[in-house]
Amino acid sequence: MDKTTIICRCEEISYEEIEDVISIGARRFDDVKRLTRCGMGPCQSKICSSLVAEIIHDKTGLPFPEIPLPRMRMPISPIKIGTLTTNSTTFSSVKSVLDEVELEDGKVK
Amino acid sequence: METDVLIIGAGPAGLTAAVETASRGLDVTIVEESLSMGGQLIQQTQVLGSLPSFYQPKRGFELAQRLRKLVEDTSVRCLLGHRVIGFYKDGSVGISDEANVFPLKAKKIIVATGAAEKAIAFPKWTLPGIMTIGAAQTLLNRDFVLPGKHAVIIGTSDFAMDVALQLSEGGVQVKAMVEKSQTVLARDTEKVNQVSKMGIPVHVNSSIKEARGIGRVEEIDIEQREQIMTIPLDTVCVDGGRSPILDVFYQLECSFGYQRELGGWIPQYNPFFRTDREDVFLAGNAAGVSSQGVLLVTGIIAGINASESLGALSKEEAEIKTTSLWKEIETLETKLDPDVWNARIRHVQNYEHPVLTDQFIS
Repeated sequence: MDKTTIICRCEEISYEEIEDVISIGARRFDDVKRLTRCGMGPCQSKICSSLVAEIIHDKTGLPFPEIPLPRMRMPISPIKIGTLTTNSTTFSSVKSVLDEVELEDGKVK
Repeated sequence: METDVLIIGAGPAGLTAAVETASRGLDVTIVEESLSMGGQLIQQTQVLGSLPSFYQPKRGFELAQRLRKLVEDTSVRCLLGHRVIGFYKDGSVGISDEANVFPLKAKKIIVATGAAEKAIAFPKWTLPGIMTIGAAQTLLNRDFVLPGKHAVIIGTSDFAMDVALQLSEGGVQVKAMVEKSQTVLARDTEKVNQVSKMGIPVHVNSSIKEARGIGRVEEIDIEQREQIMTIPLDTVCVDGGRSPILDVFYQLECSFGYQRELGGWIPQYNPFFRTDREDVFLAGNAAGVSSQGVLLVTGIIAGINASESLGALSKEEAEIKTTSLWKEIETLETKLDPDVWNARIRHVQNYEHPVLTDQFIS
């Protein structure tokens, strides 16, 4: 494929940038995401996750069942912060990103 | 707010699941992000050929109307224009009406979130005028807007054939259909004949090389046996297949398995369409991409077994009904594509051996 082809529309990440991070060891969508910002825009990888899985498969030969899904976080689709907090007396009980972080001796595990 | 059964998604599977549960006296709530019921059926103007034996052949939007009527005759609470945005710590579902977020406590959840179309990437595929085939169909049949005047369709599935015919009838000149395989993928030969009668050329062994245009797509290059064919146009419809929508299952920490023929990653489930969580059932394309007929049946099975788990139906009765409905799936899905049916059987057998159970590694 042409190296300049956009793979992640939201963050404008090209095929070449994804190829580069695969060459330094990225093997799953979340690796590519952390290294390039691919999938971190408004659509939250809804469009590019299957494209990236295909590139990982093509470049590494890794079978699809060994390329895991991207991590999908709350909120499931974009929502205004104002809407998220309105009427919510139990806001702290909304499952937050922080709930997923495990601490050990006050540090992230 | 509290309910016995929460159904996420009011497409064909969600609606049949709603009828099965509500008709047994359960308190049922449907949450649906769009403002109407029927899901993708609403813009299907073609006759759906492979419906279950207890349905007459119907056009998609007619089937949607019928299902809507059935649901409206029950006491189902329909939250249209509402979205599930996540889950609270105590297990309640966070639902937004776009002004507020409120918790809903459900004894059982049936997830029928459907499938999303996949993209195909090529140089300049992000130009306006290039869209998925489903988007073109939605513009034409639901919004009554022509996507353009001159179109090329990338893909030759049965669905691509349907949309090619609908676009032509709507006044769009379909200049070509492009298929990278050696043969046309559509199994419905009658439809393929109709397409060729319309004078739409189908190029096999071909792929799209690039699109060009300033501000919107103006022409594309098709590569066929190392020869380049340039086609001027204003619309490209891309059929990249579909894959199940999994966000809700992921949030519920369900485990997943991979079946290419069913659309890739799908939640693990048993013959009762229950996931590895006792309170979470699933139905429709979310349980593996298939024909509309199969979607209806999976919704019925999920509804029956969710009812059984709440004591609204005896175990024996639920098992008998489930077994005969699986026969219906077998008939419909084998006719559609035996590989899809075999993948489904494999997937259900794999229930005891989930692939992705713990992927919560930061």
